[in-house]
Amino acid sequence: MEVLLGITGKDFTLIAASKAAMRGATVLKAADDKTRSLNKHTLMAFSGEAGDTIQFAEYIQANAQLYSMRNSIDLSPSALANFVRGELASSLRSRKPYNVNLLLGGVDPVTLKPSLYWLDYLASLAPLPYAAHGYAQYYCLSILDKHHHPDIDYEQGLKILRMCTDELKRRLPIDFKGMLVKVITKDGIKEVEYFDEKPVACP
Amino acid sequence: MASGYDRALSVFSPDGHVFQVEYALEAVKRGTCAVGVKGADIVVLGCEKRSAMKLQDTRITPSKIGLVDTHVCLAFAGLNADARILVDKARLEAQSHRLTVEDPVTIEYITKYVAGVQQRYTQSGGVRPFGISTLIIGFDDNDRVPKLYQTEPSGIYSAWKANAIGRSSKTVREFLERNHKDDMDREATIKLTIKSLLEVVQTGAKNIEIAIMAPGKLIEMLPVEDIEAYVKNIEQEKVEEAAKKKGGRPGASGSATLPSRGSDE
Amino acid sequence: MDTLVASYGRPMFEKEHVEEDQLELYQPGPSLSLKFAMPPVAQPSAWLRAATDDHANPNCPIKIAHGTTTLAFRFQGGIIVATDSRATAGNWIASQTVKKVIEINSCLLGTMAGGAADCQYWLAYLGMQCRLHELRHKRRISVAAASKILANLVYSYKGMGLSMGTMCAGVTPSEGPALYYIDSDGTRLAGNMFCVGSGQTFAYGVLDAEYKYDLSVDEALALGSRSILAATHRDAYSGGFINLYHVKEEGWVKHGFNDTNPIFWKTKLEKGEFSNVTSELV
Repeated sequence: MEVLLGITGKDFTLIAASKAAMRGATVLKAADDKTRSLNKHTLMAFSGEAGDTIQFAEYIQANAQLYSMRNSIDLSPSALANFVRGELASSLRSRKPYNVNLLLGGVDPVTLKPSLYWLDYLASLAPLPYAAHGYAQYYCLSILDKHHHPDIDYEQGLKILRMCTDELKRRLPIDFKGMLVKVITKDGIKEVEYFDEKPVACP
Repeated sequence: MASGYDRALSVFSPDGHVFQVEYALEAVKRGTCAVGVKGADIVVLGCEKRSAMKLQDTRITPSKIGLVDTHVCLAFAGLNADARILVDKARLEAQSHRLTVEDPVTIEYITKYVAGVQQRYTQSGGVRPFGISTLIIGFDDNDRVPKLYQTEPSGIYSAWKANAIGRSSKTVREFLERNHKDDMDREATIKLTIKSLLEVVQTGAKNIEIAIMAPGKLIEMLPVEDIEAYVKNIEQEKVEEAAKKKGGRPGASGSATLPSRGSDE
Repeated sequence: MDTLVASYGRPMFEKEHVEEDQLELYQPGPSLSLKFAMPPVAQPSAWLRAATDDHANPNCPIKIAHGTTTLAFRFQGGIIVATDSRATAGNWIASQTVKKVIEINSCLLGTMAGGAADCQYWLAYLGMQCRLHELRHKRRISVAAASKILANLVYSYKGMGLSMGTMCAGVTPSEGPALYYIDSDGTRLAGNMFCVGSGQTFAYGVLDAEYKYDLSVDEALALGSRSILAATHRDAYSGGFINLYHVKEEGWVKHGFNDTNPIFWKTKLEKGEFSNVTSELV
């Protein structure tokens, strides 16, 4: 029951991931970071098979950084998304495919356009204004369909995110230990202080 | 003169030389000069830049100073094209090291890796040694001690307080030996680097490149105007000194005998 | 077919860099994935699973030694590592005196849960890699790096039947006290507290309730040992002796390998705990 959420706005992209690391019936860690930054303005969140997720994410991260070192320029979010898709596609046809679902969010350093890409382990790639993975899709997409607008500002974005995470806390049967939220703007990636101690009533 | 022993790389001559490696050192000696100088908490690389032709776009012509990782910088003397390959291998290793060990490479580690690659190309058939020497500078993670290493085509690597490679490196090294002090601040370190390069670069600031590394900071390429200011300053000092010493000066002072590189260990 | 897939399935990045001379020229040591003899069947891992899974088939021909409680937690004075000492193969107690804490070097400890042979073999191998790292880099390996060597190693054997849940605990000048959890899925997590093995839930119960970061050293040692005791009492696959370690800045210190039985009775009779167990005949 890992939760991944992504929302774009006027000049930012928000990425949120659940903080629980579960193995079997045990929560092993309640402050897990399921994101890796690929360069100054692209962030990738991941869920899926244990082991595969981090191996794949760090492999992509290393290659993104190698590209930056070699060419003295960062890849754009769209270029990275297509690179990741290619890697997933070739992995899918290998003897042992990576079982990883991803959200890739960023702000293009040249055009300053925020973007969000949804990728799954079957190497589908879709650029979207807002996206989710796992059970979160069933609860959050309807909320986002209703409330999201492409030119919302950061505060409005956080407000919609709060609606989503409150609903998840209300209805998901397993505690996912809150969300780790990061925002990408033209100035880079920042962690957002996100309080979710407040109990949510279930009507 | 080499009676055939220079044909194949992997064959020793009867007196124990591998000629191809020595020819590679010759290529290094013909390359433009590069200098590295350590200060108290800073390390500086200086390079002689070949004069650009009239229509050359100097803005985007690759530099002799390259970044291996954010905290490691490399300058070379010798064949440009060979250096590109070697720097690329080093970059790959630096990222790979971050991936597998979660720490950035130490300067010594990446030096050893670069020297290792160079050594490999002196011991197998069908390949040619890298025709370059490199100076590698930087700071280890959470460490304020400046590092400066040199590698050679044979695969030797060594640590230095200050050193020069390439054309006229002997002259520059002798100059550094006379003038290097242990606890130089930023200004003094940059100045010494430029001053030592001016020993062999006649054309002044526009043919000099300076890169500065400080602990925890990104690499800083010194702008041409700043280099010009240093050069002007140095030249003025020289004039003043000459004026002061006009009269009886008993020959050149510090012509210290230089230990050869091999015996430096 | 497999070769076709392999040539197609290579990451994009590798394709542009085919340097054969590279590969044959430089091999600084044996690669991290060693080669093992495989059973001569089409799907070795599926075959192994069928032969060893005593959950699905109690009459399976090979019973791997399993069942453990191990724990480690970080606190103000360093790290406490504690384990039981029982090894079971199916319903059979194979040993009551297993050393489940592996001393990798004077500052690094590993714990074993899952397949005893897998853990023993790979942690010994990790010890070797750590020593080599120390010699190559002229400084002691970080706990992060050591745990990552193990995680990458077991990940390369993912799906082939390895079964391990281990913790790496150590103190280094660069990171301070550090604790990592690694399992055979390839998971690797840094954390403050982990319990691993069939008795983990029982240990968590006691440990979570009284754990604070600023526990004194004596309190921490007592809590570690009491948590293992709880697990040995309720988990049939845990028992034997309590193996207790304290990792400090100067290195680890062993705090005994003590029989659970007298500790249990001492705890019961002196503190009045375990009141479900009666000591009188009624």
